[in-house]
Amino acid sequence: MQDETKKKLTVAAVLGAMGPGLLAALSGNDAGGIATYSSAGASFGYATLWMLPVMALLLIVVQETAARCGCVTGKGFASLIREKFGVRKAALAMVSLLIANTAVTISEFAGIASGLALFGIPKTVSVPLMGLLIWMLTMSGSFRRIEKVLLLVSCVFVTYVVAAFLAGPDWGEVALSTVTPQFIADPSYVSLLVATIGTTIAPWMIFLAQNNVVDKNADEDDIILQRIDTTTGSVIACAIAWFIIITTGAVLHPAGIAVADAADAASALEPIAGEFATILFAAGLVAASFLAACVLPGVTSSAICEAFGWERGADRTWSEAPVYRGIITVVIVASALLVIMPGVDLFQIMMSAQVINGVLLPILLVFLVFIAGDKHIMGKFKNSRLWNVLTWATIVLITVLTVVMFALQAMGY
Amino acid sequence: MNYFSEMLRLPVVDSDGEKIGIVNDLGIATGEVFPRVTALAFQGPGKTPFMISWRKYVGHFDDEGVYLKCPATDIRFSYLQPDEVLLARDIMNKQIVDTQGMKVVRVNDIKLSVSGDNQVRLLGAEVGARGLLRAMHPWLEHAVAKICKMVGKPLSEDIIAWSYMDLLERSTKQIKLSVSHKTLSELHPADIADIIEQLDPRLRSQVFAQLDTEQAAEAIAEFDDDELMTEMLEGLSDRDASSMLAKMDPDDAAALIEELDYEKAEKLLRLMGVKEEKAIRNLLGYEEDTAGRIMTNQFVALPATATVNDTIDALRKLDDDFESIYYVYTTDAEGALTGVLSMRTLVVADHEARLSDLAYRDVVWVAPDLDQEEVADEMTKYDLVAIPVCDENRHILGIVTVDDALDVIAEEHAEDLQIAGVSAGENNTGESTHALAWFAQRQFWIVVWAVAACAIAAIAVPSVETFDANALTSGESVSAYLTPLALSALMPISIMPLVLLASMHMTSFVKSSFLEYDDHDDEAKPYLGFFLKMTLVGALLALVVYLCGELIVTTLFAGAQTWVGTTFLACFKAAAVVIIATYASAVIYLAILFRSDDRDQNISGTSLTFTAVLLSALAYTVLGSMPLL
Repeated sequence: MQDETKKKLTVAAVLGAMGPGLLAALSGNDAGGIATYSSAGASFGYATLWMLPVMALLLIVVQETAARCGCVTGKGFASLIREKFGVRKAALAMVSLLIANTAVTISEFAGIASGLALFGIPKTVSVPLMGLLIWMLTMSGSFRRIEKVLLLVSCVFVTYVVAAFLAGPDWGEVALSTVTPQFIADPSYVSLLVATIGTTIAPWMIFLAQNNVVDKNADEDDIILQRIDTTTGSVIACAIAWFIIITTGAVLHPAGIAVADAADAASALEPIAGEFATILFAAGLVAASFLAACVLPGVTSSAICEAFGWERGADRTWSEAPVYRGIITVVIVASALLVIMPGVDLFQIMMSAQVINGVLLPILLVFLVFIAGDKHIMGKFKNSRLWNVLTWATIVLITVLTVVMFALQAMGY
Repeated sequence: MNYFSEMLRLPVVDSDGEKIGIVNDLGIATGEVFPRVTALAFQGPGKTPFMISWRKYVGHFDDEGVYLKCPATDIRFSYLQPDEVLLARDIMNKQIVDTQGMKVVRVNDIKLSVSGDNQVRLLGAEVGARGLLRAMHPWLEHAVAKICKMVGKPLSEDIIAWSYMDLLERSTKQIKLSVSHKTLSELHPADIADIIEQLDPRLRSQVFAQLDTEQAAEAIAEFDDDELMTEMLEGLSDRDASSMLAKMDPDDAAALIEELDYEKAEKLLRLMGVKEEKAIRNLLGYEEDTAGRIMTNQFVALPATATVNDTIDALRKLDDDFESIYYVYTTDAEGALTGVLSMRTLVVADHEARLSDLAYRDVVWVAPDLDQEEVADEMTKYDLVAIPVCDENRHILGIVTVDDALDVIAEEHAEDLQIAGVSAGENNTGESTHALAWFAQRQFWIVVWAVAACAIAAIAVPSVETFDANALTSGESVSAYLTPLALSALMPISIMPLVLLASMHMTSFVKSSFLEYDDHDDEAKPYLGFFLKMTLVGALLALVVYLCGELIVTTLFAGAQTWVGTTFLACFKAAAVVIIATYASAVIYLAILFRSDDRDQNISGTSLTFTAVLLSALAYTVLGSMPLL
């Protein structure tokens, strides 16, 4: 590295680096996220608020680790898993990723369907049409052109911040609930906790964070910028989630409204948007879900092909990369079909997908912590002890919560 | 015992029958076509790694384990030799380049061949599905192989021989591979470029940096993607980049330098030799996409008075990396172009003959500011492999060779196709022939129609819950009131395809007029004429549509309530208005195409059509639903 090309930590560099993390944070608040946070606030008031500072910390740990691995090795997470752990364990990781991401894609389709349903379009019309559009955009890779527009529209969820203030919650109580952990022995509370973790630290985010770094060809010198980026992104993502819970907790919880569909969730925005709350909410929900539904199948397929050495990329044809295109197609078709099925509770789908995400997350985190702790791969940038402890704590926390959740359900609560 | 995956984790047993560890890795000597296994790495108790010589200590091995010749106490441990590669650490699960199939692949397993008791050689890397299945579980492989056999498509092995493997990893790159090895750097530069494009960004610059300057120069010119070119160039040190540019053909170098930012470009130019710098700067003086920009200054021109012998001497003196020579040009005393000789004429001619007697005098040449497309056309017309570029005094400035002309034709062809809406990808080479994609690009109006139909329905028909019961006259039920309303909403919906199809054909007409238009920079673009022509066509179409509506209303709805007829006619009127407006706006699309062509941005024809269809759908939705409110 020559001196002249060495990057300096200027304001411009920091602001430039902050982009992707912020975008990822905003797009992370997708259909599943909104559903989970809304129903957390509506059903349990402020009782889940204490999770969010913890989540922010853990999200920073996970995202920072993934980005650092990308900077040091220049390889995607899938490549690293395959090269360190061999075929069998890579297959395990990829199956988990495939299941988790398919679940999330289903929830995105459910988000699109319920968002458009607020405009009066039935899901039998909206889902096939949108599915076809998403499939075409993913296949040609041209969704990047409309990515920014969708992100902008999905920014309407920032209005939750304003809505939270207008709803006039008891800020003292909010502050207290944020810092004091509480636990309710109710299976739906526990599964909400798992879902909150699953939607905040989604498995696909690990892959996306690392891919972004690898595509930019960032190296060890960029780690500091990546840290700033992931930290701001994670904090903002969790802050928005925090405000959503406060808003729904202040508006819906006292009224005794349990969020059962998108229209209920939209009514939390009424203090700020009045009669336009539904339109605002629906537009945001559709844009965020649409964006995530365009990204997810590609991320999944790309990771699987990377791990097993098949050709991948939107610029490859069907004959060059049949598996890559096949996986995308199957994921989209399967998700769309599942959502169209009559009698499916859309809001329930969005929530369950986050639970699946949460349950499968520890598997991928174990891979991450072993890779980031490997001196052979990471050199002097390997995980510090604190980072290892925090990641393991996350793994243990989710595992315990999952066990408790299943145990409570089995005991018939 | 044919595969490395089956050997891993086998117990290592010494001559006393005691298990001293499990197989961890195998080392191979890289100097042979089928490298021998020379070292055995195993994991002893407490996870301690050991390495011993295979030849000295291993007696025999089978499915159950590896048996050593001597007791554990007599073993002397060894270290990895500089020419040794470890199979598990360096090859298994890693990405390698298949230099025969020219692909980047991942190693799923390694095939070994056993001869005698303990002689093991590496046959190659298994990169197919079979190796993948075996690595998951041998049973899985057997099961799938059997099923495939029953179906009649046996699952074949996909093996890359050692001599066609090029390892990419940093750790193995220092190892000097054997002479028989076909490495990446021996491939054709165009193939190297293809492979590099398949790699991750980090590996890309690593692999690129390992090419020698000359190969790098040739490979970089072959990249399809300008961004990739600059990325590669920025990965090199300034000195390397500059000497690489100097090695390139000046026209390719000029194209590359232009992509860089000003400072970097200046720095690189200053670092190279005076001759090369001058040649490149000269080319950069000409406008983009002209003959001057794509020409090379490497050509052979001699005075017409020279003899064939002189010419051959002159050719012998040229550098090795001189551009291919297709023709020799002759000049008069002032240096003006007078004639041309083909290589063939020169070879068969008498050695003492004068060039002026042999040369063909009627030389076709072009001016440096001629558009590159027209240069290519000239070359096609006169069947030339190179065409001289001359100034007004017929002094030769350079020549445009056939390779650059072919690039121009391919580039222009791709641009035209994109505008015509044939290929969708940004830089794909073959057009997409997938049936669904084909229809999606051409017939997307159906989707637009469906969405707009939903919108009209939502605007026109209030839902039953929100319906204001006071609006009803007494005795009428809600559904009886809503039925005619819903039916009348069908009218604009059913007429809308007319509008959408009209606007689709408008854009395809615009696109073909653009493609057929001969570009003369000095003439003003015929916007006004085009506007009038299109508006007239639009008005005619609109008239036909309106008259159709009138016809239907007077026949079909003759006996119906009057409001039905008026609503129906209003829909046709709206359609006619939108059609006229769409056709009148055709000139805007044409202007957009011209502008983007001038600025050298590529606009895809599909997006243009999509915009037009969307706009007309929007306009019609507003106009068409008005009579219903």
